[in-house]
Amino acid sequence: MISRGHHHFPFPAIVGQEELKLSLLLNAVNPRCCGVLIRGEKGTAKSTAVRALAALLPDIETIQGCLFALAPEEAGERCAVCRLCDRRGGVVRQRVRVITLPLNATEDRVAGGIDFEKTTAKGERVIMPGLLAAAHRGILYVDEVNLLDDHLVDVILAAVASGENRIEREGVSFGHPTACILVGTMNPEEGDLRPQLLDRFGLCVEVKAETDREMRVATMEQREAFDADPVGFVARCAAESSTLAERINSARHCLPRVQISGRQRTLISELCTEARVAGHRADLIIEQAARALAAFSERLEVEDGDILRVAPLALRHRLRDQAPPPPPPKEQEHEHAHHDPPETDNEQEEEQQDNAPEESPPPPGSPPEQEQDSTGNDGGMPDASETPTGPVNPDALEKVFEVGATFKVKPFAANKDRVFRRGSGRRSRSRINGLQGRYVQSVFPRGTRDVALDATLRAAAPYQRQRRSDCAIAIRPEDIREKIRERRIGNFLLFVVDASGSMGARGRMTATKGAIMSLLLDAYQKRDKVAMISFNKQEARLNLPPTSSIDMAARLLAELPVGGRTPLNAGLVKADEILRGQLVRDPTSRPIVVLITDGRSNVALGGGKPMDECLELARRLAREERLRFILVDTEEQGLIRFGLAAKIAEALNARYFQTADLKADTLLDLVKE
Amino acid sequence: MSCQTIYPFVAIVGQEQMKLSLYLNLINPTLSGVLIRGEKGTAKSTAVRALADILPKIEVVKDCPFQLAPGDGLELCRECFHTGCRERRIAGHHVEAVHRHIKVVELPVGATEDRVVGTMDLEHAIRKGEKRIEPGLLAAAHRGILYVDEVNLLDDHVVDVLLDAAAMGVSTIEREGISFSHPSRFVLVGTMNPEEGELRPQLLDRFGLSVRVEGIADRESRVAVMERRVAFDESPEGFTRQWESASQTLVERIEAARQRYPQVTIDREELFTIADFCLDVGVDGHRGDIIMLKAAKTLAAFDNRTAVEQADIETAAELALPHRMRRQPLMEIGDNVKKIQDKRR
Repeated sequence: MISRGHHHFPFPAIVGQEELKLSLLLNAVNPRCCGVLIRGEKGTAKSTAVRALAALLPDIETIQGCLFALAPEEAGERCAVCRLCDRRGGVVRQRVRVITLPLNATEDRVAGGIDFEKTTAKGERVIMPGLLAAAHRGILYVDEVNLLDDHLVDVILAAVASGENRIEREGVSFGHPTACILVGTMNPEEGDLRPQLLDRFGLCVEVKAETDREMRVATMEQREAFDADPVGFVARCAAESSTLAERINSARHCLPRVQISGRQRTLISELCTEARVAGHRADLIIEQAARALAAFSERLEVEDGDILRVAPLALRHRLRDQAPPPPPPKEQEHEHAHHDPPETDNEQEEEQQDNAPEESPPPPGSPPEQEQDSTGNDGGMPDASETPTGPVNPDALEKVFEVGATFKVKPFAANKDRVFRRGSGRRSRSRINGLQGRYVQSVFPRGTRDVALDATLRAAAPYQRQRRSDCAIAIRPEDIREKIRERRIGNFLLFVVDASGSMGARGRMTATKGAIMSLLLDAYQKRDKVAMISFNKQEARLNLPPTSSIDMAARLLAELPVGGRTPLNAGLVKADEILRGQLVRDPTSRPIVVLITDGRSNVALGGGKPMDECLELARRLAREERLRFILVDTEEQGLIRFGLAAKIAEALNARYFQTADLKADTLLDLVKE
Repeated sequence: MSCQTIYPFVAIVGQEQMKLSLYLNLINPTLSGVLIRGEKGTAKSTAVRALADILPKIEVVKDCPFQLAPGDGLELCRECFHTGCRERRIAGHHVEAVHRHIKVVELPVGATEDRVVGTMDLEHAIRKGEKRIEPGLLAAAHRGILYVDEVNLLDDHVVDVLLDAAAMGVSTIEREGISFSHPSRFVLVGTMNPEEGELRPQLLDRFGLSVRVEGIADRESRVAVMERRVAFDESPEGFTRQWESASQTLVERIEAARQRYPQVTIDREELFTIADFCLDVGVDGHRGDIIMLKAAKTLAAFDNRTAVEQADIETAAELALPHRMRRQPLMEIGDNVKKIQDKRR
């Protein structure tokens, strides 16, 4: 990393954010607090605090030239196998480093891999340490950890939790210690972390802006003073900084001697039981954090107050009797999201990856509508539907229903195939044209210039005797192999919504709108493109042309009026038209059609029976292999059911859901892809 | 710069807010850019491209691919592939520096990640055993302006790297076994048409200011727009010459404001006004406060004063807050502007 020649904003000068500061200090004193996850708003001194913390930590001693920042006492046998430095370096002191993980980092940069520049020059395997090595005994800062590719998060958390990073890839097998303070930040609006990843972070703080005028002014003054004269500002805080640094240092020394009584351990376990947390990690973390706090307060015995002070930090993100912590500023209740995250079994991991992000509350700009209405009339009927809209007069007045409660939807994705795509997102796995994503296999060059080093070297290896070259390994163009990468990308979702009068009966549209909104929120977090068709009276309309603006879709949905007959057939024809356009524009795309209806098609386009025509249209649509269909049946669960929607689903070869089954936590889980 | 004549910035009719926000960023790059929201055909792109002739000048090492200043450290040069000046600088010799306008670097919507961040020629590396790095747009934009047209249509992962660079002031090229960082501090200027979708909140927050542009409703001005455009199309050189002295005056004014900015002071009382503004309208985090403060000071400097006045704060609120407010149901960012304006009355 390049030193910016800047002075860092000093830690004691940060105004407010006491929880954030406390959790960082606890980690500084006791690394076994297992890192901090910072959730919350933008612009709340998150990264400033992390960088400032580094400046407070005592310098570390390391072997000169060691790329793994090993302490002299750690060196021993590790040095014997490592050939990266000449091992003649003395011991030097260096500042604690903050390693920032860029979002575009590849797996081998994070974990380490082959240094092929040296490998080809020297003709022997030279290891290139990754960012995890650089972060040893320092701070690893992952901004927007929820946006990082899942496999990278796995690698990082596994390494930090076990304290050792093992490189087992591209023919390298190597391990090195990674004891670092892990700090992740995330904005829950952008999607959440999987529960088992959340659990790996020891502490969790929620940050938000100060609401106190004095504090806000103080923040501005400090910042302005710092910008005007960084050197002077840092100098003015020097005394305070060094006091704090000494306190951390002495706390570290007395930490091993801090005692915790059996009664207090019981207290901790009671707190955890009460919060119904999964597993035992919370207990251990609370104990470690409480000891750190006692040491920091210059005591050798843990007090109950310490435990109560740190418990919220350790429990917040592990609570199970309610949705994982909603972000602080959203004051509305979240009773509908009260679905426990499914148990974290290994078999369920695949689904988990998909589920996890949806627990977060709505994205910011999108659909505040649903917040509005969920204040009172969740199950009940909105004011608009006081008089039931029976299908007596089919073209009667149209009504607008409010958007019902939202929930976390079940994961669904397009089928995997072998087509290369561009793009990003997090819905369906696809092979990817581009340099991000996971390296899954190597092939002869396709022109991507994304060279797969290991495969290239293997291809060149047999011919080394015959070839002569300046480099230790002679590589010819015909040896070059390229990588195939895989990652998740967003899809195109076409919503086809039944807005006929029958949908309006007894507030069903409110619940249906809630379901659609849930799908839209899911689409936002998976970065899908959406379009929306609605049909009622005599025709189908394209309400929303394909767009990535989920806000727009949410707004339209809230305003969507209901009433009139059910021209489902026209809706299908319209959908076909849009889909054909989409497939011409992007032949590799895999659109997913979400049809929301009760299936009572009663307007024919030609002369035949509406229902027969509808099934015929559905069968024709289903012939396009690139399409996938999801049908959400909104027919009421009553004695008399027509089951028409199910027939249509069969004709479309669609996955069939009733509104209630869409919820991610229902037992009826999805069919494995 | 291209040899094609650019429409002079000062000749743009109306759109005062947009112009003002661009001036403020030229005076004080720490305002971290502006987001211009508006319909098609409202001189958004013209204005940004026209900035070229009123840009301030900076000193840069000649031909340096990373736009370093002569006084910058040498860490980067040690790894730099650009041999022209590397040895001389490392050896401590004098290198040639040029005094040039800061650059406006345009990031096309279709740009791929490697074009933005830069890339490394892997094939060259394994066949010849040496690194060859091709710097991307983020290197070119260091100390300058990065202009993203239709920023809301940008690919998600390009947005991510952009945010990374904007947040840290450093851009990192990460490829198999190679990590290469270079400074990348730029003023981010984006234009977008909100009808085509909103920006992610994180990216939105990175823009210091935001302005909304609309077609001009006033007949006279519309005629002036047409007249000037026709005059420009007929004789670009003649038209530009006509506006030369106005351009010059503006350049001098901006330069004077740059000099004055460090002397501008603000009363504690006024800081409370800012805090109240932010609390009242409900913004996330503290970036709104800080940007508002900086904008108010810059406005005072631009207005040839050394003390911030109430009016500066109000103008600053209009520029710095609308895109940071928590949005109410069915409310667009445009409505936020109205709310702030109402508050002023």
